[in-house]
Amino acid sequence: MTQTWALFVESYRHLNAKKLFWIALVISGLIVAAFAMVGIDEEGLSILVWRLPIPVSTAILSADVFYKLMFLNLGVTFWLAWGATILALVSTAGVMPEFLAGGAVDVTLAKPISRLRLFLTKYAAAMLFVGLQVGVFSTASFLVIGLRGGSWEPSVFLSVPIVVVFFSYLYSVCTLLGVVTRSTVAALLLTMLVWLGLFAVNSTEAILLMVRTQAEQSVQWLEGDIASREQALAAAEDEEPKEGILNTLKSGMNSNKKEAELATRKTQLEDARKELRTISIWQNSFVGVKTALPKTSETIGLLERWMVDMADLPAFNDGGDDGSTRVRYDGGDRELPIPQDNEAVERAVIEKSRARSVGWIVGTSLIFEAFVVGLAAWIFCRRDF
Amino acid sequence: MTAAAIDLTNVEKTYRGRIRALRGVSMRVEKGEVFGLLGPNGAGKSTLVKILTTVVRPTRISGTLLGAPVGDKAALARVGYLPENPRFPEYLTGGQVLDLFAAMAKVGRADRKRRAAETLDLVGMTSWASTRIGRYSKGMRQRIGLAQALMNDPEIVFLDEPTDGVDPVGRREIREMLIRMRDEGRTVLLNSHLLSEAETVCGRVAIMVKGQVVRLGTLDDLTRHSRRYEIEASGALPAGDGWRTLIQQLNAEVRAVGEDRDRSLIVAPTDEAAAVQPLLDALRASRATIRSVRPVRASLEELFIESVQSMGEEGAGVGGQKGRAKHGGKGGAL
Ligand SMILES: Nc1ncnc2c1ncn2[C@@H]1O[C@H](COP(=O)(O)OP(=O)(O)O)[C@@H](O)[C@H]1O
Ligand SMILES: [Mg+2]
Repeated sequence: MTQTWALFVESYRHLNAKKLFWIALVISGLIVAAFAMVGIDEEGLSILVWRLPIPVSTAILSADVFYKLMFLNLGVTFWLAWGATILALVSTAGVMPEFLAGGAVDVTLAKPISRLRLFLTKYAAAMLFVGLQVGVFSTASFLVIGLRGGSWEPSVFLSVPIVVVFFSYLYSVCTLLGVVTRSTVAALLLTMLVWLGLFAVNSTEAILLMVRTQAEQSVQWLEGDIASREQALAAAEDEEPKEGILNTLKSGMNSNKKEAELATRKTQLEDARKELRTISIWQNSFVGVKTALPKTSETIGLLERWMVDMADLPAFNDGGDDGSTRVRYDGGDRELPIPQDNEAVERAVIEKSRARSVGWIVGTSLIFEAFVVGLAAWIFCRRDF
Repeated sequence: MTAAAIDLTNVEKTYRGRIRALRGVSMRVEKGEVFGLLGPNGAGKSTLVKILTTVVRPTRISGTLLGAPVGDKAALARVGYLPENPRFPEYLTGGQVLDLFAAMAKVGRADRKRRAAETLDLVGMTSWASTRIGRYSKGMRQRIGLAQALMNDPEIVFLDEPTDGVDPVGRREIREMLIRMRDEGRTVLLNSHLLSEAETVCGRVAIMVKGQVVRLGTLDDLTRHSRRYEIEASGALPAGDGWRTLIQQLNAEVRAVGEDRDRSLIVAPTDEAAAVQPLLDALRASRATIRSVRPVRASLEELFIESVQSMGEEGAGVGGQKGRAKHGGKGGAL
């Protein structure tokens, strides 16, 4: 206990000595102060006393959802999970290399503490940077959402564990690289590269998911369209043919055209199914790859899932005003296009993302982290210094 | 037989399967002694100390440290260690460094405060306790390192090249601290490639060369074979038979020394004063002018060079009989 405490105090002193820690804290303060300056009412947005020409008002979003979304999208996604994380990595990438430097590590290793415990404590203590930053940021945000949005949301504090867990995925990689290379710069740059890679895999999967959902909806729509056309044709056949050669000719042409259209639809359906199969294989394999990797964006996304109800999201409550669905025509056939309801696609994608289990998102990421930290610990425990 | 502070048999270390740093080292260090581990750079001194402090994993070992098998972490609570070229976090003050490492050695909070005051005083750093290490000189860092090694009131202290990079005044102070540690009853294992400090404070020394202990014993033991009397006279020795026979009896040799070879030196390989008296009488009788008579033994420095040379010539052998010594107890830079 004495030893654990001493190692955490040492980590804190390390942070305290870093300018970046205080810079990050000041930026956090400025961002929350900026949130507090933005106001929303029936007429729209304002900054302090000035009106903004942006058509967002409490008619679309309630004030508390507005502040929550601002906290999530700007505060968490952009600042904590991006800017502050880079600052945190820059500040903490040196922890292991500095600790392992010749002449520095010897004294600590010669103390009555097992190497494994020493390593894991050191690792945990490095989370202090992010933990403190997020703690301060979410406390301030909690006050702003409460005072300005009129809703006291303890769920804001969920950002502390979530951002710390998110950071720990990256830091595990940074630690392993630090132990292997013993170079701060190498550890930092390679970790950034890995992060970029994770981001790329995640974005690709997100795009594939959207394309897949579009394909699914096309298939669904075509199936419905074909069914109704077949019904209509069957009904037309049952109908008594009208007298007169002209009429017969007309209805014959008509039904010929309808049958031709039906045939086109059927080929379209076949194509769409084929496309869906291909895209599904791709999307599934990306999900498979993601299972083995830390899911950084999705871990951060959990916060929105828990803090904002689906029904409150802007995408879901503005559909009602004009009733028309924004339709984009798709498919190569100009004569017979396939309509695409983008809003429905967006909704389905969000539903699917939200349906992914926390166990998969966080659990498998933590397994990855445990593996990486385990490897780093193994190397650390066996090395001669 | 009381338990030894350190008892090692056949310690071997091969780094990365290639570099054989230790080739079967055996030694025993008794409680309360100041033991010098000497040898040139690369001899394996640091490796041996690092194995004892679990910083390096031995390839093969059987032995105990303070009664516990080497590698036992619990025993390290009673050990103090100052590594070679220690580096402490620059952002910590001297006082914080002491507190941190004492806490790591499981010293309670109250004891840490008390010990910090004591050790800071001992190393003369009290007024620097709240200054960051980043602003310390090399010598000050070394002192804080020494204080750090004493924070847990250790039974045994490992000091790896403690005077490395320290100025002469600092060296003398470190030597005094070593004597004080000995007087406090601590066992000290002192690693050094400089012999001067070992010579003045160590009871026994081991000389290591290329991963092996080539000599081990008290300074007296190690220098016994080289003890002799040197008699210096002005000018060439006068004619006369009396002293010549005595020189033959004593198995002594005569050399011309000095810038102009104007002095004679008689080296008599004996450490008994009585044995040279007849020779002195004979020389005086033949009117030789005796400038000096002194007992001489090889300095550690010479022993050391001999050992290294003999290792170079004979590989693993222990040898080197020629004592071409001039003056005993070369003081070095202290
Ligand atoms: N961590 C290490 N990895 C590989 N070789 C090492 C390591 N430490 C020391 N050595 C080698 O082991 C030998 C003994 O070194 P060392 O114990 O430092 O000697 P000394 O302290 O007597 O100068 C040297 O050849 C050195 O290069
Ligand atoms: Mg050394």
